[in-house]
Amino acid sequence: MSTPVLRPPLVRSADRVIAGVCAGLAMHLGWPVRYLRMGMVVATLAGGAGLVFYAWLWIMVPTADESAKRNARRPASPIAPAVSGPLPAQSTWSNSDIGLPPGPMGYRAPPGSSVASAFTWQDPAGEAVFTDPTWQSGLPAGVPASGSAQSVSGMVRPVNGDSQAWFRFRRMPYAKEILLGIGLLLAGAILIARLLGVDVPLGTLIPAAAILGGASIAWMQLDETRRAGIVDKAKANQAGGWVRLAAGLALVVAGVLVMVSGSGSWEQTWLALLASVAVLGGVAVVLLPWGLKFWRDLEAERAGRVRATERAEIAAHLHDSVLQTLALIQRRAGNEHDVVRLARAQERELRSWLYRDEGKDIGNLSERIKAVAAEVEDALGQAVEVVNVGDTAMTERHEALVQASREAMLNAARHGGGSVSVYVEASDKEVEVFVKDRGAGFDLHSVPDDRLGVRESIIGRMKRHGGTAVINSGPEGTEVRLGLPAVAAEQGETTS
Amino acid sequence: MSSIEAGGVQPARDGSVRVVLVDDHAIFRSGLKADLDSKISVVGEAGTVEQAIAVIAQTRPDVVLLDVHLPGGLGGGGREVIAGSNALLGTTRFLALSVSDAAEDVVAVIRAGARGYVTKTISGAEITDAVLRVAGGDAVFSPRLAGFVLDAFGTAPADIADDELDRLSARELEVMRLIARGYSYKEVAKELFISIKTVETHVSAVLRKLQLSSRHELTKWAAERRLL
Repeated sequence: MSTPVLRPPLVRSADRVIAGVCAGLAMHLGWPVRYLRMGMVVATLAGGAGLVFYAWLWIMVPTADESAKRNARRPASPIAPAVSGPLPAQSTWSNSDIGLPPGPMGYRAPPGSSVASAFTWQDPAGEAVFTDPTWQSGLPAGVPASGSAQSVSGMVRPVNGDSQAWFRFRRMPYAKEILLGIGLLLAGAILIARLLGVDVPLGTLIPAAAILGGASIAWMQLDETRRAGIVDKAKANQAGGWVRLAAGLALVVAGVLVMVSGSGSWEQTWLALLASVAVLGGVAVVLLPWGLKFWRDLEAERAGRVRATERAEIAAHLHDSVLQTLALIQRRAGNEHDVVRLARAQERELRSWLYRDEGKDIGNLSERIKAVAAEVEDALGQAVEVVNVGDTAMTERHEALVQASREAMLNAARHGGGSVSVYVEASDKEVEVFVKDRGAGFDLHSVPDDRLGVRESIIGRMKRHGGTAVINSGPEGTEVRLGLPAVAAEQGETTS
Repeated sequence: MSSIEAGGVQPARDGSVRVVLVDDHAIFRSGLKADLDSKISVVGEAGTVEQAIAVIAQTRPDVVLLDVHLPGGLGGGGREVIAGSNALLGTTRFLALSVSDAAEDVVAVIRAGARGYVTKTISGAEITDAVLRVAGGDAVFSPRLAGFVLDAFGTAPADIADDELDRLSARELEVMRLIARGYSYKEVAKELFISIKTVETHVSAVLRKLQLSSRHELTKWAAERRLL
């Protein structure tokens, strides 16, 4: 069987000798922990490799508790995972890519302000959810959202408005090129000034330029890793980012040193550079675990906030839809027809909300057919199940097809008495729609001439638009088959 | 794989099919139990992944009616239950039952080894029919699952033999299309002038392809297609 192996997540185990690394690894890999421990010891003898590996895992792998706190717990409800699972959350985040103010913190806050403020001045998750237009349209106007949703949105909105300005500023085309040009112009001007005999204090200018340049490289980097972290959790292109960060840092350090030492003697500068790098390295070693822990706490907190806003959104939606429908159902409990119709309509609404695909074009054929099917279902109270394969963009001819399908569904629901199956298959060559019911069937020739339903709305309409309509009726049910070939002259109308 | 293909299951002594219901909603379980025919006897129930694996191992039923979304375990739901009952796959058949229409859920549980997939909204008689069919070694395809298959494998028939697992034959495509259009197996047989047994063979072949095809697009397709 091609069943993928289910591995428990890699976390440090509570059952531990030193830090639970071996036990956790053993659980993850499904190997006996004893062998792993022995292997680790043997590897340690081999030049300390095991020790380094152990330490690395110790730092990088969270404990079981931390991991559990960070991951959203899956609720028991069968529908809720689709809402709080990683996929929808990610799609809301990627939406926010455009709405997010990507301005580097250096633009917004003076460089002296603390790094922590850069992490808190905007809440990417909260903002993403509330700038998401689908959320707003999901709430009918005038219906109050649940209290918590309101308070959160109220808190976030001011930041949001402000951020729009930064967004526009940052999106100025060729900003980098313009900056570079200005820099080159300045350099050129200085050179010319020197040639003309003006005394330019190069000894101060060059280090200052180095500091400015390095700092801006590093800050841009900060901004971009943040954005990458939000858009793409995998952080695929971080290596280049680290290089740029290091380059920026080196430039700043060198600039500061040259400026402070003042002399310009290479030997001295070199020595000082070495010493400062050594100090920085020491500080980094000491602070790294702290930094990591800090970062993890932040991530956990942010995930918690995302969950809270998601919960608020779900609560608001359920309140407006499901609870109202349940109340209606209770009041109409005597009327079976109404109850079934309400339940179907609510199921449809909830389904489209849970499984909505943000990238999907609402104007496509499959969506139109589904909308028409929902209409028929509401009007006549019979379930209409739509299965579609492939999709295509709508044209005038496809609209005729949809109208003919609607007529067929109405007939099927009215006379079939039972659920109606609709199958739509769109390929490059043609679009086919099949509408099937399980009614007693009818004879097309016996339909009186003054009844326009079948003859005009289905067969005539399809013929006028170059399509076909075949009605197959028997004692076990009726099936209407509609075909609409793609016309070669209308190139590019089919997308599937 | 051959163990799954092996012929009919021995029914219980009184001739009924022994079934375990796995669903985390007790109300749904009791409703379903009331709906099922007398030809089916429910020998066990479970509400979580761990319970399900234990109950299945203990009762060794003919068919497990398995909800796709289940709490517990490592979060794998129905797929995990099937993986955990791997040793019984030769004698116990799994029929997935779900409110979810998401292709990834359905495809995942089918690929794990389920013999069919039906939605929770179908009637008691239909579920009974599906259970008996699965117990007899056949595959059960709902119109929606047939639609998924057509979408994943494409609607062009296989022309060469080398990608046999990655494409459907012309006949299999016809059968899948008719099922997607709402035809019962009997109606499919009548429409194509073949026997019901042949229809079942075709459906089983499609199920096998769905489970074994290494076509990487299949998984990718399912992941991308969250809506249907």
